[in-house]
Amino acid sequence: MTARAVARWQAALAYAVGLAAALGVLAVLVVALGGDVLAAVGSVVRASLGSAAGFGQTLNKTAPLLFGSVAVILGLRAGAFNIGVDGQIYAGAVMATGVAFLLAGWPRPLAVPAVLLAGAAGGALLGAVPGLLRARAGVNEIFVTVMLNFIALFLVEYLSTGPWNDPTAGEAITRAVPPGTTLPLLGTRLGAHSGVILAFAAAVAVWWLLYRTVFGYEVRAVGDNPIAARLGGIPVGRTVALALIGSGALAGLGGAVEVSGFHYRLILGLSPGYGVMSILIAVLSRRHPLVAIATSLAFAALVVGTDSLQRSVGLPASAVFVVQAAVLLVLLASEGLRRSP
Amino acid sequence: MSWELLLDPSLVRLAVSMAVPLALASAGELLMERAGLLNVAIEGMVTLAAAGAFLGAFASGSTGVGLLVGAAAGAGVSRLLAHYAVAWRRDQVTVGLTLYVLCVGLASLLYRLVVGVRLTPPRVETLPPVPLPYLENLPVVGEVLFRQHALVYATAAVVVALHAFLFHTSSGLRLRAAGENPVAADTVGVDVFGLRVRAAVAGGVLVGLAGAALPFTFTGTFTEGIAGGRGWIALMLVIFGRWTPLGAAAGALLFAYVEAFQFKLALLSKAVPPQFLQMLPYAFAILVLVRAYRGAEAPQALGKPYDREART
Repeated sequence: MTARAVARWQAALAYAVGLAAALGVLAVLVVALGGDVLAAVGSVVRASLGSAAGFGQTLNKTAPLLFGSVAVILGLRAGAFNIGVDGQIYAGAVMATGVAFLLAGWPRPLAVPAVLLAGAAGGALLGAVPGLLRARAGVNEIFVTVMLNFIALFLVEYLSTGPWNDPTAGEAITRAVPPGTTLPLLGTRLGAHSGVILAFAAAVAVWWLLYRTVFGYEVRAVGDNPIAARLGGIPVGRTVALALIGSGALAGLGGAVEVSGFHYRLILGLSPGYGVMSILIAVLSRRHPLVAIATSLAFAALVVGTDSLQRSVGLPASAVFVVQAAVLLVLLASEGLRRSP
Repeated sequence: MSWELLLDPSLVRLAVSMAVPLALASAGELLMERAGLLNVAIEGMVTLAAAGAFLGAFASGSTGVGLLVGAAAGAGVSRLLAHYAVAWRRDQVTVGLTLYVLCVGLASLLYRLVVGVRLTPPRVETLPPVPLPYLENLPVVGEVLFRQHALVYATAAVVVALHAFLFHTSSGLRLRAAGENPVAADTVGVDVFGLRVRAAVAGGVLVGLAGAALPFTFTGTFTEGIAGGRGWIALMLVIFGRWTPLGAAAGALLFAYVEAFQFKLALLSKAVPPQFLQMLPYAFAILVLVRAYRGAEAPQALGKPYDREART
C-alpha cells in the first residue's frame, strides 16, 4: 500500500473508533440511568433513521446543523473562529420573524424569499461586528462572537416575552408567522420541510465559492498563511471580514429556515446548542463543506436518537454534547498518537 | 442620576464579591497562557466545576468538599487539555472548544444523574461573611472590603501571590520563558513540557475554584447557564490586564461593577426592559476589548505547541 492509502485507512479507522466511542458513551449513560442498552440502541435507530417520519425529523435537524457548520467552515477557512453561530441563528430568526409579520397577505413566492433574505441579513449584521473589529482593530473574533451570542439571546428573550409574545402560550414564544411566509413541506409522510434542500444547496454553494472562485482562493490563502497572502497582494483584513460576514449570513439563513420551516414562530430555545455542535461538525469534516453534509446528517440522527432516549430512559438533552465531543476527542487523540512517537 | 448611587457601598460590596469568579478564572487562565497554553475551554471548565462543587456540597453537606471537587474538576480537564496540547501537539483552540462542549454537556448530565428531576431545585449553603476583626470597623472600606466571605480574601491573596511568583521568582521567570521562547528555555535546561503541564494543573485549580464560587456565593443552586459567559470574560480579562495578575484582577473588579450596577438599575428602573440591561456587561466587554487590543502583546509562543525536532 502507498503511504497515502495507509493514511486513508488510518483515518477511516479513526472515524470508526470515534463512532464506537460515541456508542460506548451512550451505552454507559443508558446503563447509568437504569435502561436496557439493546432496547435503547433500537429506539435510537428507529427514531432517527428507521421510519419515514423519523428520517424526516433527522432531515429537519440537519438543516440548522448544516447551515451552522458551513458557516463555521467559511470562517475557519479564512482563519477565523466563528463561535457566534448561535447568536447569528437568533439574529436571523429575529429578522425573519419581523419581516414575516410585515408581509402578511403577500403571495408566497415573494414573501418566502424576502423572509429568508432578511434572516441572512440579520446574521450578516452580527457577523460584520467581529469581522470589522478583527480587520480594523485586530480584536480576536472569538470574544466578539461569544459576547454577541449573549446579546442576541437577550434580544430574543425580550421579543418573545414582550412585544411579539403570544399571550395564549404562557411561554417565551412569539405569535405564529403569517401562513403565506412559511416554507412548504416535502411530502406529508416524511414531515420534513424544504429548508433542508436550501441547506444542501448552501453547502454546495460554499464549496463552489471556496474552490471555484477568486474570493474563495483568497479566503483559503489567508487562512493557510496570512503573511504569504499579504505579500501576495491579498487584502487580508477585508477577506477575513467578508468571510465572517458570509459566515454570519449562512447562520442567519439557518435561523430564518428554523422560523419559516419548522417552528413557524420565534422561540427562546430555537437553538439548543446548534452553534457549538456546528463547530464540532466543521472540525470533524476537516473544514470541507461537502463532507459537512454527511457529518451534519450523522449528528442530526444522533440528536434525534438521543431525544428519543430522553423520553424512554430519561437521558438529559445535554448528553448529546458529551457524546459528540467524545467522538472528536477520540479522533484528536488518534491523530496525536499517530504523529507522536 | 447622582454620584452617591454609583458609589453606593452596598453596590461596591456586591461588585467585590462578584469579582471573585472573574478574578480567579482569569488568574488561572493567565498562569497557563504565560506558560504558552491557550485554554479556550475555560467557560466549560467553569460550568463543570460549578456543577461539581454544587454536587460535592449537595452529597456531603460540606462546602469544603464542594470546593475541593470544583478545584479537582478544573484541574482534571486542564490536565487533559495539556496532554492533547503538549504531548500530542494538537491545535489548542480545537481541543479547547471540544473540551468546552464536553464540559457543558457533562455538567448538566452529572447534575441530572445525581439530583434527578425535581420541582424545586435543591440548595446548598452559601459562604457566610467573615468580618475581619478591627478592619471591618473602618468607615466605608470596612463594609465594602472586610465583611466579605472567605473566598474574597483568598482570591486577593492568590492574585498577589501569583503576581509575585510570576515576576519576582526564578521559577516564575522559567515559566514565562517557556511561554515566550520555549527553544531558548529548553536550551538552558528549563523543562518546557513539564512546566506547561504543571501550569495547566495549577491554572485548572484556580479556574475550578472560580466555578465553585458561583453556586457558593450567589444562589446556592446550579443551573445550566450558571457560568453566563464569565469564563469567556475571564479569557478576555487576561488581555485587558496585559497578562499580569494585578491587571486582570482590576479588570475583574471593573466588570463585576458593571454587572452589579446592571442589577441595581433593574431594581430602580421599570421603563427599560430588563433584557436590555442584561446585555450591558456583554456590550461593555466588546467596547473594552477594542481598547484592550491596542498594543496588547501576548506571550510569543502562546498557543503554539513546542516541538523539539521542528525547525524554527
